[in-house]
Amino acid sequence: MSAIAPARPSQGKARDLATRKHAPRANRRRVRAVALGALGILAALIWVFPVYWMVLSAFTPAAYLRATTPQFLPLHATTTNFSRVLEGGDFATALKMSTAITLLTVLAVLVFAFLGALAISRWKFRGRTSFVLAVLFIQMLPAEGLFIAQYKMLSSVHLLDSVIGVTVLYTAAVIPFTIWMLRGFVAGVPAELEEAAMVDGLSRTQAFLRITFPLLAPGLVASGVYAFLQAWNEFTVALVALPSQSSQTLPLWLRNFLSASANRGVDWGQVMAASTLIAIPVIIFFLFVQGRMTSGLVSGAVKG
Amino acid sequence: MKMLRFAALGVAATLALTACSSSDTPSDDATTAGGEKTAEAAEITLWLAGGDTNDELRQYLKDTFAAENPGSTLTIEEVAWPDLVTKLTTALPDEANTPDVVEIGNTQSPTFTTVGAFRDLTPIYDELGGDKLLQSFVDVGSVDGKNYALPYYFGSRYMFYRKDIWTAAGLEVPKTLSEFSESVAKLKTDTQSGFAMGGQDWRNGISWVFANGGELATVDGTTWTSTLSDPKTIEGLTQWQEVYRTASNLPSTERDVAYWDFLNDGTDGSAPAAATIMAPGWARWSIGDITTNDAGDEVRDGMADDTTFDIFALPGVDGGIAPVFAGGSNIAVSAKSQHPELAENLLRIIFSEEYQTKLGGAGLGPGNSDFVSSLGDDKFATTMIETAAASKLTPAAPGWAAIEGAFVYEELFQKIADGGDVAALATEYDAKLTPMLNGGAAG
Amino acid sequence: MSHDAALGVPAHSGPAGPAATGPAATGTAPTGEPPAPRRRRPPSAPYLLLVPAVVALLAGLAYPVGKQVVMSVQKYGLEQQFGQPPEFVGLDNFVRIFTDDALWAVVARSVVFCMVNALLTVVVGLALALLMRAVTTPVRLTLQVCLLLAWAMPMVAGVTVFKWLFDYRTGVVNWLLVKVGFDGMAGYSWLSQPMTFFFVATMIIVWMSVPFVALSLYAGLTSVPEEVLEAARIDGASGRQQLWHILLPMVRPVLSIVLLLQIIWDLRVFAQIRLLQDAGAPVSETNLLGNFIYELGMSRQDFGGAAAVSIFVLALTVLLSWPYVRSLMKEDA
Repeated sequence: MSAIAPARPSQGKARDLATRKHAPRANRRRVRAVALGALGILAALIWVFPVYWMVLSAFTPAAYLRATTPQFLPLHATTTNFSRVLEGGDFATALKMSTAITLLTVLAVLVFAFLGALAISRWKFRGRTSFVLAVLFIQMLPAEGLFIAQYKMLSSVHLLDSVIGVTVLYTAAVIPFTIWMLRGFVAGVPAELEEAAMVDGLSRTQAFLRITFPLLAPGLVASGVYAFLQAWNEFTVALVALPSQSSQTLPLWLRNFLSASANRGVDWGQVMAASTLIAIPVIIFFLFVQGRMTSGLVSGAVKG
Repeated sequence: MKMLRFAALGVAATLALTACSSSDTPSDDATTAGGEKTAEAAEITLWLAGGDTNDELRQYLKDTFAAENPGSTLTIEEVAWPDLVTKLTTALPDEANTPDVVEIGNTQSPTFTTVGAFRDLTPIYDELGGDKLLQSFVDVGSVDGKNYALPYYFGSRYMFYRKDIWTAAGLEVPKTLSEFSESVAKLKTDTQSGFAMGGQDWRNGISWVFANGGELATVDGTTWTSTLSDPKTIEGLTQWQEVYRTASNLPSTERDVAYWDFLNDGTDGSAPAAATIMAPGWARWSIGDITTNDAGDEVRDGMADDTTFDIFALPGVDGGIAPVFAGGSNIAVSAKSQHPELAENLLRIIFSEEYQTKLGGAGLGPGNSDFVSSLGDDKFATTMIETAAASKLTPAAPGWAAIEGAFVYEELFQKIADGGDVAALATEYDAKLTPMLNGGAAG
Repeated sequence: MSHDAALGVPAHSGPAGPAATGPAATGTAPTGEPPAPRRRRPPSAPYLLLVPAVVALLAGLAYPVGKQVVMSVQKYGLEQQFGQPPEFVGLDNFVRIFTDDALWAVVARSVVFCMVNALLTVVVGLALALLMRAVTTPVRLTLQVCLLLAWAMPMVAGVTVFKWLFDYRTGVVNWLLVKVGFDGMAGYSWLSQPMTFFFVATMIIVWMSVPFVALSLYAGLTSVPEEVLEAARIDGASGRQQLWHILLPMVRPVLSIVLLLQIIWDLRVFAQIRLLQDAGAPVSETNLLGNFIYELGMSRQDFGGAAAVSIFVLALTVLLSWPYVRSLMKEDA
């Protein structure tokens, strides 16, 4: 049973099997493996190309951008775009704001949604079905008509331009999906595991923390990634909830780049440099949770 | 443990939410006692749209305001143009958070003045410049003879062209609109637009309507009527259709194009994509040969080579200068401002000779016509002043912002550019536009 | 196949260490013992656990959603926003939007767009997940890193780059097409016709959504025990048979959840379309539901109408997902 842990199919065995039986088939397999590998690389290139284009443009001087013959290599590389974008210190302010809002949202969402998911997947109680339905339906309400009311609400409780105000809106927007996602994970860990541990002398809390919680880690990571991306990328709610320039988040700051110069022709080099800067924290976050994700994969517990 | 702490934090936050909501009483009217120029010290906020007001101008406003109003400070926020209407819609009615003074696009002004979003500035109108202020801008900011929004700055559009290409084709600067159309049609090749214009670009396109004496809409009392079917308007639209189809290679869906790219030689040495474009004056700084500036950046030299690049004003039907669309913005005080005296003091600074002259120095047409000479006397400044004098604005109808927001004119012009029947389209869109002009969207 | 019991549990994969060592490994099969400990707990526990989530939802949504409902039966425009008392107009807003052909065109467009995108995303995601399973480790890691990078790209930046790649004049796509011989594509304006506009929009949505789907499905696939496949291989099952009879059935729960999520999300696509429209698409012919609502509210200041459309969209989505919701309720009953 323990041999099933590796994430990858053990190709060695497969090849063994093949060579033993039919030698020509091994050849065909090699051809097939090369073709699949090429296909994999091609897919990788397709997915990474826009990212490459963004970074490349960020290092290109404005005069060379938007030439009719595209340049695929950084022949005129410059860091001017980055230094322009960073001067004035608005980036640092926006980075702080975005980081605070995003982290707070992720934490609030994970804790609240986890507790909620636990309730609906481990207990049967009156109102449970209604709650599950409500959670499902809330996700279906279009958000594009809510701005006026959201502004009025935050203004009346003096939470405009505050981290807390936006966090409250983001948390409410992200929780339904995360409850829903975690519900699957919690249901997937048989309660019997905990009971068995309790038979072995652990308290209920201990059993939960030692047995169930580790199995939920990948689910929490996946939900956290989702909440992180939502809070990090959102800009329409932020636009009305954070009216002051001093409290803008990174996407708003990026939008200012896009449109401050809209009348004068957008400075694409700077926009791409700004975009690259915004992507970096996400990549760092991904690298940080990547280990957890893969360990989750190895234990085989990730299920959407 | 960590988890508990964050849960507690969340609960605390929610409690704070409910606690605050009970203390939501409007602040007392602290400003009633204040007389002119002796308002109680406070912090006021100015919203500027886009980046046109440069840092030097902003600093001047802050410093002067602080000096003239001891104890008070001015905060300047920049709002991106595409977000301006959304942010004004939410913040202006909110007395606790409204900006005190706002810049607003000239064509957006009527929508907000007609719903009472701005403070009546009639009492200080004469003090701020009165008849000297650019009247077309004053008009879009007025309702029932009262002034709510005043001109902040203007820009206008003229033609930039490749002198070398025109000369090589044996063409001169045109004297009439039809001469212009013939010339640019001759200059069109498969790879070069004689005159580059996107099909949705109605802000440039309406110059042809205005030049023929046509109007987009007229008002009778307070009732607006779309007048696309007026023979003069149809004539203008038909001429524009002709120019687009014979001289431009651009897709009919293009609007707000960075036309200046088209006039430059490609960085790979390729020929320019257009011989002529129409753009606001500052487009100059994106046109020319590549040079290296003081900061070491590679930039365009601002049309330094005048044998290659030059400008002219769009000629009228019978010569002279055609009326073009005047870009620019207005400035107004929020009706809900808690510090209207201070806000008016800020307007006094903005309309002072010193600031108006500074606007001109920054290449923005000052709202007070007395100071237009501050723009300078080179060909760019004189052409800008000439075209501005002949310029026109879009109708000051309450529903105008809604029409722009729904891209109705973009659609109409695209259909005309695609070769549609102008008269039939005019009738169709008149029916669509008349209720919208009167703010019919909400009822 | 001794794994059946463990693997049959939806949304759970059995192979983790503790499951194997504990006596409960076979416990998923019904035993005589009812899950008694659960019953004995005070019934207040689940309610207490739900409190934070419910409070958070109420704090963030109760007022905006309530206001939405109220506005949908009011004449609410810019005048009302600036202080005039809103007038109760009953179902006028609904009548007005329902008699507007524009709404039905937008609804049809949105539903088709959503279905095409959701299916395409899941199919491509599944293909990539299977591919990751079949290739060598270096190739798989390369692919995974590239997918993560694409996933990390800020949405605004992603759309901007795509807009640029498909630009009629300076875009890489047209340049490439001309290079390989499609001379007619020089200067082709992708965003000007609704069909090609939605082609580009679909590319963007699929490009952005596939990483999540592919990585989730790959995770699901890796939890299929190698022994099962090996046993199948020894029994002479072909690659295709393994795919259809073992791999796919085992990731079915993940697949169906991912598909449902994509449907919900793709019906709500808003920002991508809005950013693309800035490039000059015919707006009224490319609006999806979110854009329609935003335009009605924010651009045309018909907040009452926008609220009515929002409520209609909610009802429509509930209706469309009703079969799924019913099965969910049955399963929960």
